[in-house]
Amino acid sequence: MKYSIKHLILLMLALVFTLPIVILFLLSFSQKWVFPKLLPEKLTLENWIIILGDGHVISNSFVISLSIALFVAASATILGFILSRYIAYHPKRRLLTFLTYFPFALSPVIFAICLKYYFIKLGLIGNLYGIVLAQLIIALPYSIIFFLSFWNQKVLDYQNLVYTLGGKQKQAFLYITLPLAKSFLIICFFQCFLISWFEYGLTSIIGYGKISTLTIHVFQFINEANIFYAALSCCLLILPPVILLWFNKRFIIQQKG
Amino acid sequence: MFKPFNKTFNFSILLLFTLLPLLAGLGYAIAYSFGLVGVLNKGFTLENWKILFSTSEVYISVLYTSWLAFASLSICIFISLAVVLAFPTKFKSGIFSYLVYMPLAFPSIVAAFFFFQFLSNAGILARLCYQLGIISQISDFPNLVNDSYHIGIISTQTFLSLPFFILLYASLYQAEKLEDYQKLAYALGASKKQTIFKISIPILLKRSLPSIIIYFIFKLGSYEVPLLLGKSSPETISVLAVRKLQKFNLLDIPQGYAVAVIYAFLVLILLFIAFKKSKHQYEV
Repeated sequence: MKYSIKHLILLMLALVFTLPIVILFLLSFSQKWVFPKLLPEKLTLENWIIILGDGHVISNSFVISLSIALFVAASATILGFILSRYIAYHPKRRLLTFLTYFPFALSPVIFAICLKYYFIKLGLIGNLYGIVLAQLIIALPYSIIFFLSFWNQKVLDYQNLVYTLGGKQKQAFLYITLPLAKSFLIICFFQCFLISWFEYGLTSIIGYGKISTLTIHVFQFINEANIFYAALSCCLLILPPVILLWFNKRFIIQQKG
Repeated sequence: MFKPFNKTFNFSILLLFTLLPLLAGLGYAIAYSFGLVGVLNKGFTLENWKILFSTSEVYISVLYTSWLAFASLSICIFISLAVVLAFPTKFKSGIFSYLVYMPLAFPSIVAAFFFFQFLSNAGILARLCYQLGIISQISDFPNLVNDSYHIGIISTQTFLSLPFFILLYASLYQAEKLEDYQKLAYALGASKKQTIFKISIPILLKRSLPSIIIYFIFKLGSYEVPLLLGKSSPETISVLAVRKLQKFNLLDIPQGYAVAVIYAFLVLILLFIAFKKSKHQYEV
């Protein structure tokens, strides 16, 4: 009896984790879903062919979102890696960590409305540069906080050993620090990619409706009650993270542990 | 030559990308709310704050947002603790070690869309109830999205937070050597119930408290989910602030900034508590 209840709980848990993806994919292949039919009636590849076709707004916004996310992730990871070292060995580490945490903890959409004035003055509203900068402002604190756990006594000891043995700063960085930080860099890149990829509120305010990322399109389709295109856009939003999560699972478990 | 760890360079970048935007953004919001800057403002005034606090809108919004965060986190922590204590090693390897990550691939807006399709009157749950003969028409199904009990928002927030807490408790279970404590408790004559409620749960909750507070802060700032699944009134802090700032009534803008200041102050206090509770250096 106990055994079957445990199995039932696991089955429910598996359903909770997988059902959303299955449903969204089913809807993305559908064009008709009238109540009370449980499943969509007409399954077709037509939506995907139309939307992924050359020049369609969705395929364009997919490329825009991907470019923004890759650039933000790369910049935030590199800068975060450098700045976290500065904070980690700083006498005021706790204060600087707190100050770094604050922008990360703030709601991006509220942070965006507070910064909007400056973005207008700098001519960064409604263009790609503005969105990249705004997303970098929220991704960088995350990256810094993430790398703080990397800069421990062990890493410092290894670096000092290189200097003691006559090695230079560049050599210590290239042959000791970077190899040790490899998995951290991969995970951080991935997490920053997700922060940018998932962003809606901040992008809608700084983008001012002129830059259409995938999340903006999902919202538009939902507002238009176009559930099939919304589901398809959702699938496009989910696919890269699912692939990356699958690929990086091992690293993430290590990090969380 | 470019030195990646040059102190001046590091401090300048830190200032430029994290501290300056924070100070500039909040400074502008505070100045606007007190009438010091802005199109219609004419100098220092407390009028905007008085107007804001003269109605119950902002009080209700803060309470409502806190309640949503509290409810979704409580449910999430309850489920995560139950699952991890029942299956402590299930998420280390095998299919569940992959499946548990699935909700992490969902942006809030996608999760909100799915739960709308799942819980609405014409959604999957309603269709299932119809097929099972529980309801006979759409209107028989209760409102579970944009509803008075906020079921849609709470379900979505719980779904989004669940993997984080399951993984957190699974890793704490190993790190805190809970299995050893449990064996010791059994050897000393404790029952299974006593072991769970007097040893395992208190240790897990105590160790996860700073993470819970940080997650609570994140939930306070949630925007997309309440925007799509919430009612027009009450509104969460983020939705209220954005509505006041983005609508065409210019007289509402200072109050919108005042709401943003209240929210930032709330986050600051909670963050301070989280840092105080954390004995270790704070990390993600």
